[in-house]
Amino acid sequence: MELYVAALGFGLISVSVIAIAAVGFTMQFGITNMINLAYGEVMIVCAYVAFYVNQAGVNVWAAMIAAALAGAVLSFLLNRFLYAPFQRKGTNLIGMVIISLAASLMIANILLPIVGYGTSAYQMDQGQLLRWNGLVLTVAQIAIIVVAALMMLAIHGLLRYTRLGKAMRATAANPTLARNCGIPTQRVIDVVWLITGALCGVAGVVAGMNSENFSVASGAGYLITIIAAAVLGGAGQPYGAMIGALIIGIVTELSAAAIAPEYKEVVAFGILVLVMVLRPQGLLAKRGALAAAG
Amino acid sequence: MNTYYATTLVVYAGVDIIACLALNLQFGVSGIVNFSFIVFQSVGAYTAAVLSMPPDTANGGYQIYVGGFQLPFPIPWIGGALAGGLLAIPVGLVVLRKLRSDYQAISLLVLSVIVNSVITNARPFLNGAAGIAQVPGPFSDQVDPLTQSYQLLYVGLTVPCVLLVWLVASRIVNSPFGRSLRAMREHELAASALGKNPVQLKMTIFIVGGVIGGLSGAILVGYIAVWAPSEWLYPETIILFAAVIVGGRGNNLGAILGALLVPVGFFEATRLIPPTIGGWVPPPNLIPAMEWVAIGLLIIGFLWFRPEGVRPEARRVFEGGPDLE
Amino acid sequence: MLVATDIHRHFEGMRAVDGVSLEVRPGKITGLIGPNGAGKSTFLAVLAGTLPATSGTIVFDGEDITRLPAYMRARRRLVRTFQLPSEFARLTVLENLLVAAPKHRGDSLFGALMGKRYWIDDERRLVGEARALLKQFGMSAKESDYAGTMSGGQKRLIEIMRALMLHPRLLLLDEPMSGVHPKIVEEIQHYLEDLRAEGLTILMVEHELHMVDRLCDTVVVMAQGKVIGSGTMSSLRRQPEIVDAYLVG
Repeated sequence: MELYVAALGFGLISVSVIAIAAVGFTMQFGITNMINLAYGEVMIVCAYVAFYVNQAGVNVWAAMIAAALAGAVLSFLLNRFLYAPFQRKGTNLIGMVIISLAASLMIANILLPIVGYGTSAYQMDQGQLLRWNGLVLTVAQIAIIVVAALMMLAIHGLLRYTRLGKAMRATAANPTLARNCGIPTQRVIDVVWLITGALCGVAGVVAGMNSENFSVASGAGYLITIIAAAVLGGAGQPYGAMIGALIIGIVTELSAAAIAPEYKEVVAFGILVLVMVLRPQGLLAKRGALAAAG
Repeated sequence: MNTYYATTLVVYAGVDIIACLALNLQFGVSGIVNFSFIVFQSVGAYTAAVLSMPPDTANGGYQIYVGGFQLPFPIPWIGGALAGGLLAIPVGLVVLRKLRSDYQAISLLVLSVIVNSVITNARPFLNGAAGIAQVPGPFSDQVDPLTQSYQLLYVGLTVPCVLLVWLVASRIVNSPFGRSLRAMREHELAASALGKNPVQLKMTIFIVGGVIGGLSGAILVGYIAVWAPSEWLYPETIILFAAVIVGGRGNNLGAILGALLVPVGFFEATRLIPPTIGGWVPPPNLIPAMEWVAIGLLIIGFLWFRPEGVRPEARRVFEGGPDLE
Repeated sequence: MLVATDIHRHFEGMRAVDGVSLEVRPGKITGLIGPNGAGKSTFLAVLAGTLPATSGTIVFDGEDITRLPAYMRARRRLVRTFQLPSEFARLTVLENLLVAAPKHRGDSLFGALMGKRYWIDDERRLVGEARALLKQFGMSAKESDYAGTMSGGQKRLIEIMRALMLHPRLLLLDEPMSGVHPKIVEEIQHYLEDLRAEGLTILMVEHELHMVDRLCDTVVVMAQGKVIGSGTMSSLRRQPEIVDAYLVG
């Protein structure tokens, strides 16, 4: 039983890591109808940016800021110079998927000669081990959960209470109408990619912190879990992605305790298939992506 | 160029051509984005291997795998092809029926990653990450595999397979059945409004592609005598997609051309890269990484400048038509 | 010929079709009109099988087809066209028609693998039929052009010809005149009249009231998912509620 409570603790961290990533991923889909398969690789790039900054003696939490910046810039460029031109050209959904897959391969293989094939790890102080009712977490892990919670609140605040957030929701729901209402949709899209890119960067670092080590090859595994969470919650729905992350995070950790840790991604995949077959619109199916719940 | 290299090239080209013809049937003709194609080639390879190998206690028992029936040619190759077809059934039934096209593609991509991961971790099944080795090729007990005669024998087995697959693919593409597949690719809803059953069409061509893919795996594993998860990571499918996109999708000649330009072309090109460039020795993994970058660039470049490929799908003109001025 | 009873189509909380009953009589052209968003196209899609009905029954020539998928209804010669262009773009005009051919020996994996000789006779016959249609509709010269390069009106004609290749008993037309050059509209009108003279039954969703007036024997009016009236155009014009809801002049 203790095993499961501990797994629950791991689950909470998993949820945090997945949530940050999945919200960014799903917002990219919501605003540009783009399944960005390069998302996992961008996460890895940012994880390495933080790694090098960390190696230079900077605290890993501060390095996270560098990673967020890197993620923002890289994601923005990816959309501006690759995805958007192809979409303007009228490329269909499948073509865009192929292109994002090609992009992910290229990013991974440009990164590989630079960072090498081996694994890397951050130099960080995990802090004290805290116990509470069977949950066992380090200070650093709790910090991850706090960071995730703060980011979720920030996104919620952004979407609900700011003009930019409203503009984002409008653009996602109906770009032509939004443009006709005077919303500078092109700028809104750019901003969304910057923000989600930053989320991607933070997610990459946090994921790296949470595993013993990471490598370029980790990207594919991250991507699967993120896609599963995003689709489960409803593609394009940030709140859905949070719920999806919650479910995927907890279920995969519990199943890792019950079956074996290597099969975590298999479980995520199983959930993804179930969702796609039984309820492809996901849990929070609503007309217009980026719609606030309620 | 020695004979050994020439025969290797022919066998690899044959396998790649067969694989590209299959993928073209699924993707180019019918519009199914099968991002898990390499899994079908792999299931054919594993099946052919465990059918032709001795039980896993042999050779010092350092491998653990199922099967080991030591069956003679052509059973392993037929088994591999059948395995590819059989795998296509459950995968197709789950993925091809109700999902929209990009979700289909994603599911198949994820499937590819997951299956590789599972096989790697489930050691007793197919010897896990190490994979299986010492796979006996066809007739390897009658002809010494290390001789030139065996090389020529292998070419003699591969080439008829290529021709057979080409014949099958040709007959499909140039038939009314092929026309229905292309119509489904263009506008599935309209095709079903004209009496075509899209699920049946997709399942049929998915299974056919699986059979041919499985055959390609069987041929390959008999030649290289090993098969491990690192041979069939998910990006391997992307090379084949690049081949079909570059060569020209929707038509068999385009698929063949693509197979020769991309997988075979890269194989040749890397051989020509000198070990040092002006005194600088590239790190060992740089070349493969750059190959992948080149594949990505090829895909993006062709989709931008020439999506129909080097050899586009031919326009079909029927004889006896109206005279054109 | 076709009796639809109490058809409902609800999706994501919207009641696009909210209890529509309708009967299509053989050998007549029935019009289905109504303001935008009335649910006409959705209803047509339900009849054709493109969308499943949430509830209700559809009986076609005595057979309950409510649960049948679209392709099986097409095989029973209940054929629809689409509002938006739905040609097979990278197939030639002639190929577009040939796709529609029912019962082609070459149209199965087995037939394909058997080779050309097995199905060439069926093919020749169908090419002849298709060419006759092309001639009738004046598009013979375009037979080897890609359908995707045709104009809007030509694409509409291709769709109608494609449907005709199936020898339909009931033809469901979804706004056949929309986006078509007025000259072609005249042509289509004549073709439809000829087809009716040959005994074809047609149900037509259309906005061009002019056209509806001239072509349709009966007209059904829908608004907000329900039928609000039916009869001849002239009788409908005399009902003030209908006029209010929709008709202008």
